[in-house]
Amino acid sequence: MRNSSLAIASLLGAVLLNAQGGGRGNTAPANNPPPTSPVTGNAANGKNLFYAYGCYACHGYNGETGARPFVGRWGNLATEKGFIAFLRGRSNVAPLVPSTSMPNFSEASLPDKDAKDIYAYIRTFKSSAPPDVKDAPALNAILQAAKQQK
Amino acid sequence: MAKSQKTAVGRRGFLKGAAAGTAAFVTTTPFADAQAQSSRPQEGGTGAAPAPTQAQVDRDAGNVRPPAAASRAITRPGSDLMVQTVRDLGIEYVAANPGSSFEGLQESFINYGNPPNRIPEFITALHEESAITMAHGYAKAEGKPMLALLHGTIGIQHAAMSIYQAYYDRVPVLMIAGNDPDFIAAHTAHDMAGMVRSFTKWDNEPKTLDEALKAIQRAYNEAITPPMGPTLVVLSTELQKDNAPNAQVPAYKPPTFSTIDATRAKEIAKGLLDAQNPRIAVGRLRTPQGVKRAVELAELVGASTSTAATNGPMSFPQRHPLCGPGVDTNYDYTLGLEAPGAQASITGPALAKIVPQRDTINVGFGGISGGANGGGAGRGGRGGGRGAASATPIEADAEASLPLIIDQVKQQMTSGQKARMQDRSAKHATANHEARITALTQALEARKAGWNGTPISTARIYAELWPLIMNEDWCLASPSNFSGGHNTALWDHNKPYSYLGGQGAGGMGYGAPACVGAGLAAKARNRMVINIQTDGDLNYAPGVLWTATHHKLPMLTVMHNNRAWHQEYMFVEYMAGVRGRGGLNAHIGSTLRDPFIDYAKMAAGYGMASEGPITDPTKLSAALKRGVASVKRGDPYLIDVITQPR
Ligand SMILES: Cc1ncc(C[n+]2csc(CCOP(=O)(O)OP(=O)(O)O)c2C)c(N)n1
Ligand SMILES: [Mg+2]
Repeated sequence: MRNSSLAIASLLGAVLLNAQGGGRGNTAPANNPPPTSPVTGNAANGKNLFYAYGCYACHGYNGETGARPFVGRWGNLATEKGFIAFLRGRSNVAPLVPSTSMPNFSEASLPDKDAKDIYAYIRTFKSSAPPDVKDAPALNAILQAAKQQK
Repeated sequence: MAKSQKTAVGRRGFLKGAAAGTAAFVTTTPFADAQAQSSRPQEGGTGAAPAPTQAQVDRDAGNVRPPAAASRAITRPGSDLMVQTVRDLGIEYVAANPGSSFEGLQESFINYGNPPNRIPEFITALHEESAITMAHGYAKAEGKPMLALLHGTIGIQHAAMSIYQAYYDRVPVLMIAGNDPDFIAAHTAHDMAGMVRSFTKWDNEPKTLDEALKAIQRAYNEAITPPMGPTLVVLSTELQKDNAPNAQVPAYKPPTFSTIDATRAKEIAKGLLDAQNPRIAVGRLRTPQGVKRAVELAELVGASTSTAATNGPMSFPQRHPLCGPGVDTNYDYTLGLEAPGAQASITGPALAKIVPQRDTINVGFGGISGGANGGGAGRGGRGGGRGAASATPIEADAEASLPLIIDQVKQQMTSGQKARMQDRSAKHATANHEARITALTQALEARKAGWNGTPISTARIYAELWPLIMNEDWCLASPSNFSGGHNTALWDHNKPYSYLGGQGAGGMGYGAPACVGAGLAAKARNRMVINIQTDGDLNYAPGVLWTATHHKLPMLTVMHNNRAWHQEYMFVEYMAGVRGRGGLNAHIGSTLRDPFIDYAKMAAGYGMASEGPITDPTKLSAALKRGVASVKRGDPYLIDVITQPR
């Protein structure tokens, strides 16, 4: 029984991956202004922690790509307190199926101090300012070629 | 020590002597230095080297003894007829990693016929898993099988995962394994095919040459009839090597494909013609011919269509004017071709159908038993109309049934209907074009996120590459799901082979060899293969880079190098998180760092032109241009790009 549910789980994983690869790729980047709430951590240390804890895995190295980009959205990142509450409130049940959901980060596994440093680093993120489609030669070429297909 | 040196000299002399008769054909010797020296006068005169003694030959061969000398002259070995049988089937390539259990056959492939080594051409594989996946990729691109040879027992075991993937993907692959009862016992078995029976479509171990030739033909037919899949013939060394002066290649009878009957064809034609807004949902057909027929039918009846061309090969051209939602999404008659359809759905037999005969030891692979469309592995198309229930599938081959429907449509269509359909087609074309531009505009806005970021976004790779290849004949043969699937929205999948889809059963180590297989298909057809290559996938069997270089395959590899088995990294990270242990160790066993792998050097080591790693997005376009230019000259090229993980 356990074996067969595992087999199904890994298969499901393979199928789910199809959906996950694209992330939120079809949603246009949001353009909300960054939060202005106070920051207490050390951004330089936060950078190392952003990598070490694997935040980049789903949010990209710059918070702009991947399964859950956040630059321009901000959402749960509005305040340091809100961010820490969010980390602590993630799923903490043993999952049956492999998942790329946001994991839970308890105080024991990611102390407040580290969380504050990560928050400070995240707050330095800015949009890498993607160009207008018409100003990026490749993007513009794609659009113009499609228009001419008629 | 002195003895071994002497032996080496003896062997080299032996090789030199042997090469003398064929010098004109030799392009590269194993030792470049030896070649350079050979034109200089040799110490000790220029007389022919003495023939090696038996002891020297024995030593040279190590514990591998040479085959016993035949007691009679072999003028027409059975393997020549085997090769002729394969040739008559039009098989273009045979891929193999060498093994003595098929040395007779290999010798015939490379020496028999005029010219030898053509149809099929021998392709050197560095791993059996690569050989089979090459055949997998080739068949997806061409809609027909090529051949792979496997060494007895061990070669089959190396090939197993790839065979499994082709089976799951329902892709025809023809395989021959050797069985040498007189050599290394561990390489023989009394039921060789038994190891892979539960995930092959058909196998046979013939006892006579005549049976062997028929078995090759039957294996071919079984492979290409639905449910398509890998088939295996086990051939003993005796059958390969024995003289067969009087044997003949048996007359080949092509297989028959099950079709819908005439009444059903009439009904479907009437349904399409009477409908105000008919729709055709196209899944994965078998061959390019099937795609052509689907286009013909859609154009005849002016139906809007959906396609599976962004999921895999052999589906409706994505940017055909009829492909898209159409002018009105309330469809009153939907025909599914290897896809669900609300009023009629023609779907070939599921893999589940053959499981009882094949999986006799009841391994019970998951995901196969359910569903009319084979289950598992993301096959088939979508879109029998929004929310429309699907008709009970009619079990028949859609591709073979299409001519019957087309005939009926032509017979039944009135001139009034014809005019209406032309008018409708024009409206669909306008609506689909508008829908396309709207979707593309949104996609471009979305995918430009992180455009200027470092490392490079996966979207930028696809976006920069597309303008460089959009006017070329191309085939994206690597699965794109881990790399964002950006081709789906940005590129035009208009050929049966535009995108070859996923691995079949989610097995990694597929992308690179599948691209090499697609490269074989592309080479003779002036096409180029695009390989957006994830790093984990390449490292299972990177020797395929050598195969691509050696055979000069038109393949552009662009690394999606995230220095990890990133999918697994995310899984482990989540697992650690939900267990309250944090993500700090998640990289152990799931990342490729300390040291980073240098893929440009790896490619160079295999002789492939390469550059990178590139981290600066502004350098990407120029590199891609160099890559495309190289591939167009016939030289495969690899660009290492350090990317965002997803
Ligand atoms: C043969 C095989 N072994 C292991 C796995 C588990 N697996 C699934 S995804 C994955 C990572 C693949 O890494 P890569 O090709 O670099 O893609 P990435 O996720 O990094 O984009 C692995 C190892 C598999 N699917 N197949
Ligand atoms: Mg990777």
